[in-house]
Amino acid sequence: MKPAPTISSAFLEPGGHSLPEPLLELRKQRGTALVDMPLPTRKTENWKYSSRHLKLTDELATTLPATGKDGYSLSIPGYRVVFHNGVMIPEASDFPDLDGIRIQRFADLDDDEAAALAERLDNTLDTRAVQMARLNSARFEDGLYIQLDKEAVLDQPLFIVHEVTGTASGSAYPRIYVDAARHSQITVVEEYLSSGEEPVMVDTVTEFVLADGAQVTNVRLVMEGENVQHIGATGVRQAANSRFESHCVGFGGPLRRHDLQVRLEGEGGECKLNGVVVTQGKQHYDNHTSIEHVAAHCDSEETYRNIAADESHAVFNGRIHIHEDAQKSNANMNNKNLLLSTGAEIDTKPELEIYADDVKCAHGATIGQLDRISLFYLVSRGIGRREANTLLTMAFINELVEQIPVQAVKDAAQLRLNEFFDQTFQEA
Amino acid sequence: MLSIKNLHASVEGEEILKGINLEIKAGEVHAIMGPNGSGKSTLSQVLAGNETFEVTQGEISLNGENLLDLETEERAREGIFLAFQYPVEIPGVSNLQFLRTAVNAMRTHRGEPEMNAAEFMKLAKEVSKQVDLDPAFLKRGVNEGFSGGEKKRNEILQALLLQPKLAILDETDSGLDIDALQVVSKGVNALRAEDRAILMVTHYQRLLNHIVPDHVHVLAGGRIVKSGGRELALELEERGYGWLGVKDEEATPSAAS
Repeated sequence: MKPAPTISSAFLEPGGHSLPEPLLELRKQRGTALVDMPLPTRKTENWKYSSRHLKLTDELATTLPATGKDGYSLSIPGYRVVFHNGVMIPEASDFPDLDGIRIQRFADLDDDEAAALAERLDNTLDTRAVQMARLNSARFEDGLYIQLDKEAVLDQPLFIVHEVTGTASGSAYPRIYVDAARHSQITVVEEYLSSGEEPVMVDTVTEFVLADGAQVTNVRLVMEGENVQHIGATGVRQAANSRFESHCVGFGGPLRRHDLQVRLEGEGGECKLNGVVVTQGKQHYDNHTSIEHVAAHCDSEETYRNIAADESHAVFNGRIHIHEDAQKSNANMNNKNLLLSTGAEIDTKPELEIYADDVKCAHGATIGQLDRISLFYLVSRGIGRREANTLLTMAFINELVEQIPVQAVKDAAQLRLNEFFDQTFQEA
Repeated sequence: MLSIKNLHASVEGEEILKGINLEIKAGEVHAIMGPNGSGKSTLSQVLAGNETFEVTQGEISLNGENLLDLETEERAREGIFLAFQYPVEIPGVSNLQFLRTAVNAMRTHRGEPEMNAAEFMKLAKEVSKQVDLDPAFLKRGVNEGFSGGEKKRNEILQALLLQPKLAILDETDSGLDIDALQVVSKGVNALRAEDRAILMVTHYQRLLNHIVPDHVHVLAGGRIVKSGGRELALELEERGYGWLGVKDEEATPSAAS
């Protein structure tokens, strides 16, 4: 038998960006632990459909240079932090000093703060299940550490723009850690963009820790180009009565992978996870979510929609794990899928593990096509095919798009959706 | 206006229409009656361009233009309107958005400027009143959760907004109580115009008490077996289809009305 391929040693060489000593030390430890890390293959259950799209060539191992010279042409109605190739660019960022809220780049942390952060990084994630997050921990060049004191409220969304430039091949490892103390509130928007043509990999990790009563909303918009492999992990830990909302909107690429892990660890916690994925051409998108009901009396609600056109492939794997003590858990998971062509493929797998006996748990998954009778009805009113198909496809995701709490993201997503519709649907 | 010559159509290889001939002039109202399974709905679907049905022979022309060369949406823009027997529910598309998109598609086709949301809202509210449909229905999903009668009124609302040359009403009376029947009939009568033709497809003659046709045709076994004036419908109500040598699965046309 052939030995499983392991990660190339080229990937275990971080770039030379300056970080406080405790973080450098952490990174080194994590790197050492990765030596001979087996890479996912199609026999790796959670990478079954995606391993063949993961192409970790040695050229990709190079740390991309952070020049900060890219466009950032976004007009953002809120606070802004810009990362270029995994490193924060202060000149392009714009956020005020606020009472009770500290937004700091890793490079600016003093040794004590950095040591405290180093203790905590990765503590929201089951890193056995998110292999590529471990690579991020060994490679991050910078990151953003956001701390909210108790009852602090960020009054506008914080946009974190992650842009990578593929003028040469390489990789970037952005990292965000959000610590929300009791009853604090924040909305964090992550926007992933790219320019350039050369193959690039983005391996990103975002972590949220919510103390009692904290409310965190995370909006994630993935819109990188065809040269970008995007692998992301989001880890969330929730204490009692906290609420976490996630809105992910993703457009496909050669590889898009997102692992979202939520742990409800205190009674009365709530999470809502919404996702919209759109793929076309030969794109591939894989969402793996996991919700752990550890404590009793928590609610989770998950709604994901995939739309696959052409010969693209989308994967949804939704795991809900209700622990033995998590009585009165209320978990709802729903995944609907729309195939727009005969060559497209969608694989969906709900995974429920329930060890408590007094719980409400529902899940549903469907895969279908646009309804021919609905289409006939629309065109019989003079509506053109392109518009009729667009209306029906939008109807499939409208409910989720409408729920995105940040208008600028809604607008950006709609623009990109319109391009998708123009490319996918033709007049008769 | 509409000319159908020797029309044959089949679905999944089975011939349903077996040589229909029909001439409809502008301003006229025609009723097509017939027992279940006679091909009435097939004829309306074929006129609207439903691709499930294959036209194997014959011609259909609208004001001299060959309809069979046109896609469904092109036929609609040329003035064909089909009020569905079973209007489709489309959750997630608001009725208002649907109606405005349709009206603007027609306007664009005629080289007129599109109506903006406010202009259209005003128009839609007015026309809603005509069919006694609460404007709140405009905000709901297309036909979503509408009762049978509300769906039929929504069909007539569309006809009034789109102002077709030929309105085909497929069993528009089915499932309506007497009040709803009156509202719908009022809407259809409002459509009657010199330059417009109406083709009503119905199993029962009761609709024809409210919308008086100029011509009545009996469709059976995929062919028009008898044509006449208004009195033919009354005769059918009295005598059923049997005297025409036509079997009806239901006892008499009036029994269920």
